[in-house]
Amino acid sequence: MMPTLSLSWSMLLRTYAVLFYAFLYVPIVVLVVLSFNDSPTMGFPFLGFTTKWYAHILSGDELAGAITNSVTIGTASAFISTALALLTSLGLRHQFPLKGFVFPMILVPIIMPSIVSGVLLLIFIGFAGLPYGLWSAVLPAHVTCVLPFAFLTLHPQIARFDPALEEAAMDLGAKPLEVFTRVLFPIIRPALIATLLFSFTISFDEFIRTLFVISGQRTVPIYLWVLIIERVAPFLPAIGVVLLAISMVIAGTGFVLSQRTSSETNP
Amino acid sequence: MTLASQNAQALRSQFLPRASTRLSASARGALLVMPSMLWLFVFAILPIGFLICLSFWTTTIFGVEKIWTTASYATITADPVYLTILLKTLRIATIATLLSLLFSYPLALFLVGLRGRARSAFLLLMFLPFWSSYVVRSFTWLPVLGRNGLVNQALITIGIIDHPVDWLLFNEGAVYVGLVYVYTLFMVLPIFLSLDRIDRSVVEAAQDLGGRPVQVFWRVIWPLSLPGVWSGCIMVFLISIGAYVTPQLLGGASGAMIGNVIAAQFLNTNNWPLGAALSLTLIVLVGLVLAIVGRRLGLKQLFLGERP
Repeated sequence: MMPTLSLSWSMLLRTYAVLFYAFLYVPIVVLVVLSFNDSPTMGFPFLGFTTKWYAHILSGDELAGAITNSVTIGTASAFISTALALLTSLGLRHQFPLKGFVFPMILVPIIMPSIVSGVLLLIFIGFAGLPYGLWSAVLPAHVTCVLPFAFLTLHPQIARFDPALEEAAMDLGAKPLEVFTRVLFPIIRPALIATLLFSFTISFDEFIRTLFVISGQRTVPIYLWVLIIERVAPFLPAIGVVLLAISMVIAGTGFVLSQRTSSETNP
Repeated sequence: MTLASQNAQALRSQFLPRASTRLSASARGALLVMPSMLWLFVFAILPIGFLICLSFWTTTIFGVEKIWTTASYATITADPVYLTILLKTLRIATIATLLSLLFSYPLALFLVGLRGRARSAFLLLMFLPFWSSYVVRSFTWLPVLGRNGLVNQALITIGIIDHPVDWLLFNEGAVYVGLVYVYTLFMVLPIFLSLDRIDRSVVEAAQDLGGRPVQVFWRVIWPLSLPGVWSGCIMVFLISIGAYVTPQLLGGASGAMIGNVIAAQFLNTNNWPLGAALSLTLIVLVGLVLAIVGRRLGLKQLFLGERP
């Protein structure tokens, strides 16, 4: 719409967009600039170019350990929540009793304030007698908060897939598993990969629920947080930049893939 | 019971000959949604029961004891500190939502006017920062607004101030900057989607009939974009009301919100029952907001952008 917007209005909008994107990116540029600042304190003025802060954070085991934790938990929760989202999306193409409850249920983790979700998981792990930590507590926490987003990403792609194709395959004698692997899966594979990558970044970036249940271990956002709370150190921007880079590359790939899917299935 | 019988049916169907392998469509649908429903029941619904119990238990110096009491709720109602922080949280969330709407709407208008590659590129530029953790995104404002930050440095260079000023950070204003910055995508995106769905001919008709740009906007475009506006406002409001990181990093003492008070009960002062009672209060608040807005609009419309 709005191709006929008058020239002065569209100039105004463009100027605004420039300011908006500046607002969005100036803090990030500041972070990148400061990560190379050869100054004993975090902040300006810029005293000279150095890569020592990157050398500093990459030389220790702490960041590497936190990255390992985040990547393994992120991969596991991406696969689990994408699988759950896939099954749910497939199920929703049929009619069944109480179907109306599925959607509100999926939304519960989004609607619940994240701080309360953290509290709920803290209490639940305590009541259930599970140990706090990466696999027993952080993984369930991540799958729970990633699941709704995985579903919201995948569901529209699956919902527009014509059930008649599967029925045809079944009428021709394919077993349900064959129908999935040979008919459905090839079509939705790009959407699945996009959902996996997107889910991974949500888990990779998750903070508040993790903070409540992780105990002494570290994921990358927790590692950064603990350092910020401790003291504002000059190497913090470098950690921020590393975090930004990892998330942007992975999610950017997912974005490109999902664009490709929607243009393929929706020519 | 029903689950067991459905599982049995599924198993049986695996091992019976081909002719009877087909479950009824309805059983298949129910079975397929079961894993995620069970997962969410265990990790998202069941814990609310524990939260309710905990909020009625007694806190002692030795920890939590299972003696039923309403003391935590009495504390919340008796001590004005809690009512004050609740009202302040509501105010901050409301103002942050309105500011976010004000800043995001024109950008959505800009994006919807783009075509092809330009649209994809600017959308990607919009998404990019939001894929990183809000911890990082909140943190980036420290070196912008701080004592040695960009703004102070710029103002000194221009000559407006002689010494760095401290009032840029650790107050309610900094929390607004942080919240708008961290969550603006959730506002831009639904507004963009609902603007994009507006039939071009409707706008053209309004223009052909002599509507001035301002009139066309307020009487045609704005009303038609309201579903996206509501959706964005609800999302930003819900996230802001439970904010913890942004007020903790940028707000200081005067910018604290209910999320910081709740977290403190669990992470610092160890008064779990009070924390549970405050959490429940927040759940009820959020539930009320959703009930009021959701009744008018419907959840699917709010979260999937579907038309009513």
